[in-house]
Amino acid sequence: MTTIITVTSGKGGVGKTTTSASIASGLALRGFKTAVIDFDVGLRNLDLIMGCERRVVYDFVNVIQGDANLHQALIKDKHCDNLFVLPASQTRDKDALTEEGVEKVLKELEHQGFDYIVCDSPAGIEHGAVMALTFADEAIVVTNPEVSSVRDSDRILGIIQSKSRRAIEGREPVKEHLLVTRYSPKRAHEGEMLTYTDIQELLRIPLLGVIPESEAVLQASNQGIPAIHQKGTPVADAYQDAIARFLGEEHPLRFVEYEKPGLIKRLFGGK
Amino acid sequence: MPRRREPRPAPALELKTTRLAGIQVILNSAEHAALDTHISTLFAATPDFFGGEPAVFECGRLPADAPSPDWGWLAQELKSRGLNPFAVQNASAELAASARQAGLLVLNDVAPAPAIVAAEAAPAPEPEPVAEPASAAEPAAEPAAASATRIIDKPLRSGQRVYAAGGDIVVLAAVNPGAEVIADGSIHVYAPLKGKALAGARGDTSARIFTTYLEAELVSIAGVYRTFETAPDAAVAKKPAQIRLADTSQIVIEPL
Repeated sequence: MTTIITVTSGKGGVGKTTTSASIASGLALRGFKTAVIDFDVGLRNLDLIMGCERRVVYDFVNVIQGDANLHQALIKDKHCDNLFVLPASQTRDKDALTEEGVEKVLKELEHQGFDYIVCDSPAGIEHGAVMALTFADEAIVVTNPEVSSVRDSDRILGIIQSKSRRAIEGREPVKEHLLVTRYSPKRAHEGEMLTYTDIQELLRIPLLGVIPESEAVLQASNQGIPAIHQKGTPVADAYQDAIARFLGEEHPLRFVEYEKPGLIKRLFGGK
Repeated sequence: MPRRREPRPAPALELKTTRLAGIQVILNSAEHAALDTHISTLFAATPDFFGGEPAVFECGRLPADAPSPDWGWLAQELKSRGLNPFAVQNASAELAASARQAGLLVLNDVAPAPAIVAAEAAPAPEPEPVAEPASAAEPAAEPAAASATRIIDKPLRSGQRVYAAGGDIVVLAAVNPGAEVIADGSIHVYAPLKGKALAGARGDTSARIFTTYLEAELVSIAGVYRTFETAPDAAVAKKPAQIRLADTSQIVIEPL
């Protein structure tokens, strides 16, 4: 059984691609055969985050249009043996994604025995984003602790509930998960940001995890290594927790409480 | 151990009665040009207001000597705007014949003609200060009202809109910012109301809005609306509240 996971948000710049890379890597590290597909045709980014940009020969659109076979386009990840990246085309636009084409590629991945297919959605609610969520079994909705991001997430949830295949065919609905990213417990504590409970109260879907704001994410992106591999950082731990919860394990939330720094810490620095 | 009874397979076909809630399209004129202009202006602002509801042409107001309208064209025009006309009612013998020829059902002999609702089948959700309250329909005259209540038990999210035609709506989950609930009758929200709520959309000034947590963006009754640029009274803000119309022109918000 292949499970298709769509990582989406509505709003741009909230951490969809970072999350797709880390979730896909995390599932692969757990031993699942995983593919991660960049649906952001025209604004290809996932290959950079995964550090495979120099190995892109064929892309998603080539496969859809029959110019290359899936085998040629899938790029094997550097860090995990059972993780494969299907990059987006940089020279085309989103109209190159047809529903039949996307379905064909997903079916073929299913035949090849993939356990999970992670679809990295583009921002917005237009064609590209709809294509990314059409075939979803589960959806990870990435949200930042600010009102515009929460509203856009709400909108995209509505679209999942109306335009996904599962909704249209009246099957069991897409399983939705909330992932709060770029969370700063200090700023939430001081009222500058929404708290994760505020967000959950509005969106009313189960919380998969809270990823703290961290410089490690930027470093990871620039090095082309998914953040989940930055061992020992709160971001990597938080993504590991999210994977565990996704797989049904119970873990308490970490990195969400703000502790006032003590005197020593204030005197001698540290963050 | 008792033997498990095999579930009987459902028959391939079953017959049951149903009452259909639909839209009346009241014809005041049969003139092509006049209808064409009015349809264009009526739907200009809200081209996708209807979502495929069934509709019936009400001919009771057409003058006795009116020529037959171009039924095929008229049905097509409405179909392209989300209404599905399938029948005519109260039609003269001449009109009925032409309608039948155009493939429409003739309801004259089938059911007693429902009382004509004065407000036209117009989408009136745009918050206009007052929408013809004087000629507003008596909700009691709506025969299908009892069965027309819509119940929504999932959160309404930003960008989603539900419309209860000819009746009330009951929402058991949150109405989030950017969502719209519209009803020809009253609106009941047993959860936070944070989006827009428009009751009495076809001019029923006795419609009301109820919620257990008022934080709406906009409320409207029969076209009279109020936004919440300034927060409502502390007695009702984020509390259970009822919204009704006083003197057919003023929104009143009271604690529940």
